[in-house]
Amino acid sequence: MSAADRKTGTRREPADVPAAKTSAWSRWFGSSHAVKPGMLNRLYSLPSIIIGLLFTLGPIGVIIAFSFMSRPDMGGGVVFRFSTDAYEKLLFRHDFFGNRSFDARYLQVFGTSLWQALLTTVICVALAFPIALWMSMKSAKIQQILVLLVTIPFWTNLLVRTYAWMLILNENGPINWALRLLGIGSQQMLYTSFASVIGLIYTFLPFAILPMYSALSGFDFRLVEAAYDLGAHKLTVMRRVIFRAAMPGVMSGIALCFIPAFGSYVQPVLLGGGRVLMVGNLIASQFAEARNWPFGAALSTVILAVTLLGALVASVLGGRASRKAGE
Amino acid sequence: MTMTVMHDDTDPNKVRYGNAGEFGALVARTQRERGGAQDVSGVRMPADLERKQPDRMWSTRRSGKQGNTLKRFPMVGFVSVAVLAFLYVPMVIVVFFSFNGGKQALLWQGFSLRWYGEVFTNGAIINATETSLLVAVIATVLSTALGVLYVLAVDHMSRAGSALASMLINASMLIPEIVLGVATMAFIRLIGLAPGFVPLVLAHTTFCIPFVVMPIRARLATIDHACFEAAEDLGASGPVTVFRVTLPLLVPGIVSGALMAFVVSMDDFMISNFLTTAGTTTLPIYIFSLIRKGVNPSVNVVASLLLLLAVVVTVTSTLLTNRKSK
Repeated sequence: MSAADRKTGTRREPADVPAAKTSAWSRWFGSSHAVKPGMLNRLYSLPSIIIGLLFTLGPIGVIIAFSFMSRPDMGGGVVFRFSTDAYEKLLFRHDFFGNRSFDARYLQVFGTSLWQALLTTVICVALAFPIALWMSMKSAKIQQILVLLVTIPFWTNLLVRTYAWMLILNENGPINWALRLLGIGSQQMLYTSFASVIGLIYTFLPFAILPMYSALSGFDFRLVEAAYDLGAHKLTVMRRVIFRAAMPGVMSGIALCFIPAFGSYVQPVLLGGGRVLMVGNLIASQFAEARNWPFGAALSTVILAVTLLGALVASVLGGRASRKAGE
Repeated sequence: MTMTVMHDDTDPNKVRYGNAGEFGALVARTQRERGGAQDVSGVRMPADLERKQPDRMWSTRRSGKQGNTLKRFPMVGFVSVAVLAFLYVPMVIVVFFSFNGGKQALLWQGFSLRWYGEVFTNGAIINATETSLLVAVIATVLSTALGVLYVLAVDHMSRAGSALASMLINASMLIPEIVLGVATMAFIRLIGLAPGFVPLVLAHTTFCIPFVVMPIRARLATIDHACFEAAEDLGASGPVTVFRVTLPLLVPGIVSGALMAFVVSMDDFMISNFLTTAGTTTLPIYIFSLIRKGVNPSVNVVASLLLLLAVVVTVTSTLLTNRKSK
């Protein structure tokens, strides 16, 4: 027994002792040390883990399972009979005689989601880079205030942020008022895909700014000076020195914008009206109105897979970028 | 004082550089001491170094010094101010129109608090707010308690265990909200519960936990663990150390985590949307049903109040996090 063990040995939970003996168990789940003073035994993390298992992993498992089941003859819900009909419905259509033909309707919905999410991500990152750089060059006090200013929209209710654009883009709103004053006449802006993208950009811009700022806030600007001394132009310095340092932040910014934007529901409904149909809306309608649960579950599984893939790619690229930035 | 030799540990701002004359005298003295050169007056500084001022090290780092063009990049300042305007102008417009006296949301008919009065007497809005507050308070208390226990216990886990646990805890932030919403609804139905208050509170607790854990973990990382060892050495038992040393030191992190959980729970629309029944309509769901039909003057007021909540919470949480740990 080590000194540390002896010191805390009297207080160790009995459940810990057998864990230390079985080797395979302890290699994966055993703790290498005793409970440190001021900390708690790992058993105390169980409530959080149980609630996480119940309300995160459980539902996800259920939804994946549901996607492989069949729909009942009437109403919502599922019957427990294995079927891949839901996935087939994504790509094919069955006509009255049972003939199968290719169906691009749902692919189009995915295309719309992808296009709106990509556009949002690109614009967010493009706008976030200058402001992240600008923030990181200010004095420490001003940086704190600027971070606060960027964080407030982040914590504002999503519906409030979306509603603000409903006001602005409304046909009686400020923009149309200005356009009428200029003699251009009012334009239909609300309930278009443009409005939906604006809403998405507005929502996810802080998600892009904050990680890029945190990547740049520790940046040593002597590197910039060195680059100038070596004869680099302003834009070269920006591209090859600063942007590279910001790269880990850019990657997580991309992930934080793209993933929620791809599955968004509120902005396409409220700002896009009926004109923008994204995967999120399709899923919601499958569980509410049309009531094809297995199909909704299959759609959920697909965007879950896209999301996890996106997160994986972002974390791999981000890791590589931060290694590069560290060189 | 003659020329000071600069060491690595010297604060460069405090280094006193001698002028050229002092430097010359130092050279002359060194030469004299070494007994070498006789012609002392022959030692001179090169002409171009006579008026050379020392370069201040770190001059471009962090602090924005005036006249330093190295850190000026084209468009950066302009874009930044434009982005800040883009973030704030919409909110200012909402607040502005919340003081509108007219019946139309967007037709300005003079300053009035009329709609504030209407909102505070509107039964449906008050009911929805009460439900939201109740859910948010319970979810905040539960998620904060669970989050604190988790943060303190995760230290004792194996590497694999803590990696798995933190993946599980953070998963609800990564999964698209719409998927988590329908999945939770399907799960609740499957285990035989009906959507309603209890599933709502449990689901809110789950997605609040990661927001609680983040600031508490950050706070714990800044605490010197010698405090805990000192408490043990002075004879405090494990629980006493946790209650009288660890928890008081964690208070800023806990408060800021609880505030975040409260806001996240108050704001949630997507997941609640699939879990509420007619009796448990939360405020965001009520707002959504109102604004789905278009702009509405009483929503201007509710939106302004929610904005105020976000400002208060963010400022408080920032002040708590930035306060120097004593």
